[in-house]
Amino acid sequence: MTAVAAAAGFPVRWEGVSFAYAGDDVLHGVSLAIEAGESVALLGPNGAGKTTLTRMLMGLVRPRAGRVTVGDWDVAAKRPHQMAARVGYAFQHADQQLFARTVAADVAFGPTRLGLGVAHVPQVLDELSLRAEAGRHPYDLPAPLRKVVSLAGVLAMRTGVLVLDEPTAGFDRDLRARVVAALRRRLDAGVTVISVSHDLHFVRATATREVTLDRGRITADRAVSPSL
Amino acid sequence: MSLVRLAGASFTYAGADAPALRDLTLEVGAGELVALAGPAGAGTTTLLLVAGGYAPRVIAGTLTGERTIAAQRPAIVFATPWTQLTGLCHTVHAEVAFGPASHGRPREVVLVAAERAMRQAQVDHLEGRDPATLSGGELQRVIVASALALEPDLLVLDDPAAELDPAAADGLYRLLREVAQAGAAILVATPDLERVAPVATRAMWLEGGRVVKDGAPAEVLA
Repeated sequence: MTAVAAAAGFPVRWEGVSFAYAGDDVLHGVSLAIEAGESVALLGPNGAGKTTLTRMLMGLVRPRAGRVTVGDWDVAAKRPHQMAARVGYAFQHADQQLFARTVAADVAFGPTRLGLGVAHVPQVLDELSLRAEAGRHPYDLPAPLRKVVSLAGVLAMRTGVLVLDEPTAGFDRDLRARVVAALRRRLDAGVTVISVSHDLHFVRATATREVTLDRGRITADRAVSPSL
Repeated sequence: MSLVRLAGASFTYAGADAPALRDLTLEVGAGELVALAGPAGAGTTTLLLVAGGYAPRVIAGTLTGERTIAAQRPAIVFATPWTQLTGLCHTVHAEVAFGPASHGRPREVVLVAAERAMRQAQVDHLEGRDPATLSGGELQRVIVASALALEPDLLVLDDPAAELDPAAADGLYRLLREVAQAGAAILVATPDLERVAPVATRAMWLEGGRVVKDGAPAEVLA
C-alpha cells in the first residue's frame, strides 16, 4: 500500500465567496479555481484572509455569500468530518490537532477514522524522520517537531487535497527539507496541494502557482516553476 | 548591569530522564540582544524559560547551578501565541492592557502603556477586534504588544516572527533592536538566522542542551 494517496487530486473552487468576523469583512467576493494536481501557495500579509479562505474547504468556516466545491462536492452540503475524506487540513497551530498519548497513535487516528487502516503509518513516520519519536508523547516534543507530527497525521489520511497552513513556520532547514520531500511525492502522485505560507524557501520549492491576497481580495495570480 | 546571570545551570523537566539544559553559563545585561539558535530540541526554549525565571517557577522541573535574576519586570513571548491569550478579554485593547492592569498600575498608566505597545507592535488598527478572530500573524503581534505593555527590563521571546509576513517580521526585529537599545535585555530564540543576525549583539548556538558556539552573530549564525 502506498503511503502517498488513496485517490487522485480533486479540483477546488471558490465562487464569489465573502465572509466577515463580527462585522469585520475579511473576504470580498473571492473567486478562485484550482485544478487537480496543482500546488498553489496563498501569499499575502497577515490578516489578508488566507486562512479563512482555506478553512472554507473543510466547512469550518461557512461563507456569508458564494459557493465552495471540492471535486463534485458542494461543501455547504457536507459536515467537516465528511470533508475529511477528501481534504487533509494541517492547522496553523499544530497543538490544536494533537491529542493522542503517542506520536504513532496520533498519526494513526485520521486514517483509522477514514477506514484506511494503519499499515502505511510507519512509512509516513519514516518519510518525516519521526520513527524514533513514535512512542513519545507529542507534548514532550519541541514545538517544531509537534508541527511535523501534525503534518504526518494529515499526510497519513492520504487525501486527494492537502491544505497546509504555515506548514514550516519555525522550522530550520532540516525540518523544512523533510516536509518538502514528502509533499513532492504527493504532487508527483497528482494530489492537489494548497499552502498558506510566509516561508519563501518552502514556497519556491513546492508551488506551481502563487496567488496573493490582500485585504480579502486576490491581487495577483501567476504560474511558477518549483526550484529543485 | 547584569539583569540575568546563569552559572553552570542545568534544567531537567519533571518526569524527564535527562536534562534539557546542561551546564550553561550566561550573563545578559541591559541593551544586549542575544540570539539563541540550534536544531529542534537543542534547548533554546528551555534556556528562555530558565533565564526568564519561568522554569521551574511555572514549568515543573529541577534547576541546578546558579541563577540570579535582577530584572524587575520580566516578560515572555511563547512560540505558541494562542496559548498566551488571557481568554478574558473581548478586544485586543483589553488584552494588551491586561498585563499592566493586573500589576495594579493606575488606569492612566495602563492605558498609555497599552496604546504605546499596540503602536510599537503595529496592532493599533486591531484594537477593537476580538482576539479570537485574529489571524495567526495578527495574534502573534498582539502577544508581542502584550509583553511590551509590561515595559519589560528583561524580555525573552520564542520564535516571535514565525507566523509573520516578511515585512512584519523585518519590522519586529527592528523593534526588538530598539527596545534593547532603550535599555532592556533581550533573549530571542529563532531559526530565522537571516533576520536575527543583523540586530543581535551576541549569538549562542545550542545542541543537546549545551552551548557549542558563543560570540558575534555574524560568526555564530553563519
